[in-house]
Amino acid sequence: MSAATSTNNLLEIEQLSVCFGGLQALDRVNLIINEGEILGLIGPNGAGKTTLFNVITGLTAPSHGQMRWQGNSLAGKKPEQICRLGLARTFQNLRLFRELSCINNLQVAMGSNNRRSALELLALVQLQEKAEVAAASLAYGDQRKLEFARALATKPKLLLLDEPAAGMNPIEKQDLQALVQRVRCQFKITILIIEHHVPLMMQLCDRLAVLNFGRCIALGSPEQVRRDPLVIEAYLGSQR
Amino acid sequence: MIDISLFVLMLLGALLALAVYLPLRAGQLSLATPGFYTIGGTVAALLSTQLPGLGGSDAVYPLTSLLLEMIVAIAIAGLLAFLIDKPVLKLRGIYLAIATIALVEILRVILLSSPWFGAAVGIFAIPQPFEGPEGYLIAYGLLLAIVAWACAWLERQPLGRAMAAIRDDELAARCMGVSTNQVKLIAFVLSAIVAAAAGVLAAHYFNSWNARQANFDASITTLAFVVLGGSRTWLGPVIGGLVLTALPELLRPIGDLRLIVFGLVILLGPIFIPQGLIKAKQS
Repeated sequence: MSAATSTNNLLEIEQLSVCFGGLQALDRVNLIINEGEILGLIGPNGAGKTTLFNVITGLTAPSHGQMRWQGNSLAGKKPEQICRLGLARTFQNLRLFRELSCINNLQVAMGSNNRRSALELLALVQLQEKAEVAAASLAYGDQRKLEFARALATKPKLLLLDEPAAGMNPIEKQDLQALVQRVRCQFKITILIIEHHVPLMMQLCDRLAVLNFGRCIALGSPEQVRRDPLVIEAYLGSQR
Repeated sequence: MIDISLFVLMLLGALLALAVYLPLRAGQLSLATPGFYTIGGTVAALLSTQLPGLGGSDAVYPLTSLLLEMIVAIAIAGLLAFLIDKPVLKLRGIYLAIATIALVEILRVILLSSPWFGAAVGIFAIPQPFEGPEGYLIAYGLLLAIVAWACAWLERQPLGRAMAAIRDDELAARCMGVSTNQVKLIAFVLSAIVAAAAGVLAAHYFNSWNARQANFDASITTLAFVVLGGSRTWLGPVIGGLVLTALPELLRPIGDLRLIVFGLVILLGPIFIPQGLIKAKQS
């Protein structure tokens, strides 16, 4: 593949592999994330979805392959540098600053004292009344929303959401879907999202990528992916 | 009757507690505080006794010289903290604690074995900038007020919040763009500076200075200040330092039992009030 990039490609992932000892967590994954899209990442447990997030955000070093952010290599960049380039994430197992208040959580991510913007973001996820409450004492769904807002507070161009709807009830899931769509329009950001709730992903995502055993086995519109025999096999087992 | 010198020691305890608190706020269990305290004291003792130009033979030691000592001590302690930060702060939790204990021991042995620093005998006849303990009370009160105010201010700044974020979840802090190494470095250097400044005054106050100021006991005692007082806001270590310095003196009437009571307070404090006396406030 040539090094030429079009401005439309926000993040290019090329032949990316990660080995943990003998385990091939990611196996030559190629993925291009286009500016402005919502790209969904699905796959069975252990398929390597979170590992891919960890590599993109600099927490795990890839064994092979490379990533280019707006044409520039991300090799060797630290998590904090990657965040400042405009990639922010949430975590599958919530990692809030538990003892800090909600507003302080956002202010850490903003790196400033700006209360007004922090309150605006809290209002976006309907937590403005909890501004001074410690993050740890929020309800589970509210903690997820706060983490979402905290990632937004870093002013990202690409937002990586790791199972944002996990543990949410159906109504909260609907709210979340609306929120993600709103945020995409309002902040003009690109979203990469991991989620197990397939109906939600079908409605939300422009494209879906399917990982299985570290490989990207399918990539395309939700409708294409749903019909893909490899995907059906990965989820349901092969037909005899 | 409680002696005024006890109040001086209480203020000193509060200052050292704040020095322990600063790295701890950023999640760093550093026990190096007595080491930097000793550096401050040694710098003051050496300068004031060896450099006649500073006015060591005057009837009253000039305050400007005291200030100069403080600047030198702060510079040396800060620089040392800066230099050892890279290897030391790579360590986490209990390993960092062990490494910083080693640092204090190394300093102690260097002082103890070098005639330059007074060796085992120590440095005596350190000149007095104040006539009585009242002067030291004011000086320590002023220093504590400045440091406490600075800590309170810091807590409301991005840097102070970043420190608390690192303590809560270092990895998440990095993913939110916090340069954790830089924040930890600043916390460590600030801690060294506070401890060294407290040491400068202490050398004059005690009139003599020796290697025994830096030891493992002092590391643990200063840590106990913060554990009992609380490490969430600046007020916790201040209260902890004041109370735990006063306690052994106040318990003097009960004789040898006082050490047992003191030990019990340190033991039971974290069990019954794990956050310390002063809880986190939301700001």
